[in-house]
This record gives sequence, structure tokens and C-alpha cells, in this order.
Amino acid sequence: MAFTPVFHSEWIKIRTLRSEIAALASIPAVTALFSALASSDTGGDDFDPLFAVFFGVTFGQIAAIAFGTTAVSSEFQGGALRLSLAAVPHRGRWFAAKAAAIAVPVLAVGLVTGLVTLMVGKAVLGTKADGLDWAEQTRGVVGCAVYLTLMALFAAGLTALLRSGAATLGILIPFLLIVSFVIGDMSNNIADLLPDRAGQVALHETWDGAMGPWTGLAVTALWTALALAAGAWSVRRRDA
Amino acid sequence: MTSIDVRDLTKEYGTRRAVDHVTFGVRPGKVTGFLGPNGAGKSTTMRLVLGLDRPTSGTATIGGRPYAALTEPLRHVGALLDAQAAHGSRTGRDHLRALAASNRIPAARVDAVLEETGLASVARRRVKTYSLGMRQRLGIAGALLGDPEVVLLDEPSNGLDPEGIVWIRELLRRLATEGRTVLVSSHLMNETASFADHLVVLGRGRLLADTPMRDFIDARVQPHVRIRTTDPGALKNALARHGHDAVEHEDGHWTVAHARVDEIGTLLSTAGVPILELASAEGTLEEAYLDLTAAETEFTAQNQEA
Repeated sequence: MAFTPVFHSEWIKIRTLRSEIAALASIPAVTALFSALASSDTGGDDFDPLFAVFFGVTFGQIAAIAFGTTAVSSEFQGGALRLSLAAVPHRGRWFAAKAAAIAVPVLAVGLVTGLVTLMVGKAVLGTKADGLDWAEQTRGVVGCAVYLTLMALFAAGLTALLRSGAATLGILIPFLLIVSFVIGDMSNNIADLLPDRAGQVALHETWDGAMGPWTGLAVTALWTALALAAGAWSVRRRDA
Repeated sequence: MTSIDVRDLTKEYGTRRAVDHVTFGVRPGKVTGFLGPNGAGKSTTMRLVLGLDRPTSGTATIGGRPYAALTEPLRHVGALLDAQAAHGSRTGRDHLRALAASNRIPAARVDAVLEETGLASVARRRVKTYSLGMRQRLGIAGALLGDPEVVLLDEPSNGLDPEGIVWIRELLRRLATEGRTVLVSSHLMNETASFADHLVVLGRGRLLADTPMRDFIDARVQPHVRIRTTDPGALKNALARHGHDAVEHEDGHWTVAHARVDEIGTLLSTAGVPILELASAEGTLEEAYLDLTAAETEFTAQNQEA
């Protein structure tokens, strides 16, 4: 079977679910809102203008994760997966199409999110954002889009492995909003390798760890690849 | 070549054997009823045929090939497994459009099957507003989407109203007349008797029967004769003289087992017994099935004792 029709089918499934459209739409809304709030508070000596602009990604990623999770978890309701795999028995190809149908819209929305957030953040920061050059701003926008896409796919892979959206969100949301902050504050090199902390280096103007912005995103990509491989293994090996 | 062939198929879940060395074939041009109590392994067998579950041993093929080897399988095989498979938040039409797109089935087919299953007027409503009967029809619409030569339906009459039951019966008959291979599981005997030509019967994962429906009934249920009379004494005497045993029933009619109506009619007439009603009663699928399962239970009990 060819890949394109399967991708088309998966894309129809995503865009015909209101919850998926709502999750996509809230990625830029939430990110820009929290960036605006964070940028208005610019105290502290570790002030990083680029991360002040993109701080909202910490919350916007929850919407991206909800999007990736729902796209996969809807297959585990009422025997939907059986119908999908009866239509596309090539399970690896089916899961690849599902992942692509998640990645493409998140990447597109992520770029829009990056641009909107940059404009909002700069407007709120005013002169404090003057130090950001074009290269840094472009890195922020692209990094934001790539990071959100990787996190959505990470969630999708985890959902396929756990076969449950509730379990995935139950693990990821507390991890991203609480655990990662706590471990991050202890500030050791291991914590820097966590999927969210590694990827978010790309959203900083300066960094002090060993990883640069692109190495950081590569580490996140590795986590995502791992989650997708585990999800694909689960889809291929288990009875539907 | 569009037969379904199941060969020595076995599926174990942990220590439980859901399907136990089952072999049977489903041929085109007929409706094959797939019978057995709940938990007999019917649904598991269907999932194995569709390549959704991995068999512990044995094979299941369609037209000689495993399901997973079919390109664009919906164009060859249509299946209804679970009426709940459509997402409640999607419209019926969008559900079918996504399904059609994966196998490059033209969008016109979506509207055609919605029309055929009587869902055209609710096609743009979300599935969560559908009744069970409408969901069942949507599942059947999905099975017919690719105009397949092979159709597998798991309990299709579930939740259908009387009108829907007549509709599904006519649909199944028509699919068989068109030369398609039709396998329909059910645990409802009268319902199955109304559409099946052939029967495959499972019990606790094992194959109990694979025969034409008429043969199945005739082999297990003796036809009997039903009589009503105003003179029971004369009736009993006349029958006893010819070695027949008449049994009286609560509402006052009598039955004679192992007898044919032409013989009984003649002898009663000769003996001058007044007759109000004389009819030959054919065995029903239900009687035949209960006879089979009773024999099966006995067999199992004996085996366990031994």
C-alpha cells in the first residue's frame, strides 16, 4: 500500500475531531498568553530576553502534547484500532502515517506560534528585547516549532505504548510542569538531558551547559524517536 | 477465488484456548451462519481471519492469501466487528470518508453506502447522537464501502429494530446472490435460520459442525406430525395399533415423533378418527442446535470422568 492515501486518511481523522482542532488552536493562544505574562516580569539576574519571549512554550507544549495524545488515544476507544488496521494491515506504515499526520500540522502551527509569540513577547519586553539579533530570533521561532512537534510526537509514541491517553497525560503533564522544574533547579548535567530541558536550550539567548541549541533539540529528537519506536513496536506486536 | 479458508487455527490467551484447532471453509454465493454461544470463539476467529490477532498456530486465508498480504484490503474484504468503532465526535460521513481515503475508494462510494444503509439523512450528524441500530448500520456501511467480494459481519442484527432485521436479512441474501462470500456470526437461532444456507458452529473454541443448514437440521431433529382430535381415545388406539406413540400437549394437541404426515393421515382416516388438524412439523434450527449442544455437553462430561 502507498503511504499517501494512508496519510490522507489519518489527516481526515484528525481534522474531523473538534477536540483536535481545539488543541491545535490553543497552542499559539496559550504560548503567546504565558509569554506575555512572563515578559512583563523581567526581574532577576539570570534574565534571558529570548527565553522571556518564549517562556510560554512551557505551557503551550501541554496543548501540543494533548493533540498528539488524543490523535493516538482515539484509536484505543471502542475497537477503532481494529477498523484502522483492517483498512491498513501494514501496521508500521499505518503508524508512520499517523505520526506524520500529527507532525505536519503541529510544525505549521508551531511556526505560527513562534512568530506570534515573538511579536507579542518583544512588544511586552520593549527595549529589553533590543539585544536580540535576527539569527537569535529566527532560532527561537524555528526552535519553538521543532520543539513543539517533537513533544507532540513524543506523546503520540508514549500513548501507543501505553494504549491510553489518560495514562500518557497523567505521566507527562506532572512531569513537564513539576518534576522537570524541581530536578532542573538541582541543576546537574543529567537533568539537562531530559527531553524538555534539552530542547528548550534552543529558546535561550545564552546557555551554560555543554549542549547548544541544535544539540539540545537533537537530544529531544532522540527521546521522541525512542518513544515512537516503542509505540510502533507495541502497535506491530500486540493483538489489535 | 474469494473463499475464506481456516486451517487448524488455534489462539491462546495465556492458558485459555479461545480457538482450538478449527478448520473450515466459507464459500462464495452463500450466506454462512457462524453460530455458537457467547465466548465460543466466533469473534476471535473473525479477528484472526482479518489479521488483527496473531494465531498461536494454524492459518487463516482469504482467496489463498493471508489478509495482511492484500493491497487495499477494503476493496476485497469488508468487515463489521464492533459497532462502537466509529468515534462519537465524528459525523458518520467523516468516519466513512477517512476509511475510504486509506484504500483510495472514491468519495462517491461513501454517499452510496450511506444511502444503501438508510443513513443518508443523518450522515452529517455526530455518531454520538446515533442509536445502537444506526451505529450498526454505519458499521455495515463501512463493510460495504469497498464493494468487497468477501463480507464478514459479527452480530450485525444487534440493536436493529424489526424493520432493520428484515433489511439485514434481505441485504445478506442479496450479497450471496451476487456471488459474494458472506460470513455472519450470531447467537440468535431464528434470526440465523432466516438467512443462512450453510452453518459453521463453534462451541468452546472447537468446531462442532460445518454443514448445509438443511442437513444440519434434518440430521438432528426428526420431523413429527401434529394432530388435534375430538376423540383422544380413538386416536391413541389407532396409533398404538400401528406402533406409533402419541404424546399429548398442554393445549390439547398431540404429536407423533418419527412419523410422516402421509402415513399418519391415511391410517387415522381408515380408523375413522375425527381430525380437527393434521400437520407435518419440520425441525427448527433452534431444536437442532440445542440437540447438538446437549450432545456436546454430555461428551465433555464423559471425557472429564474418564
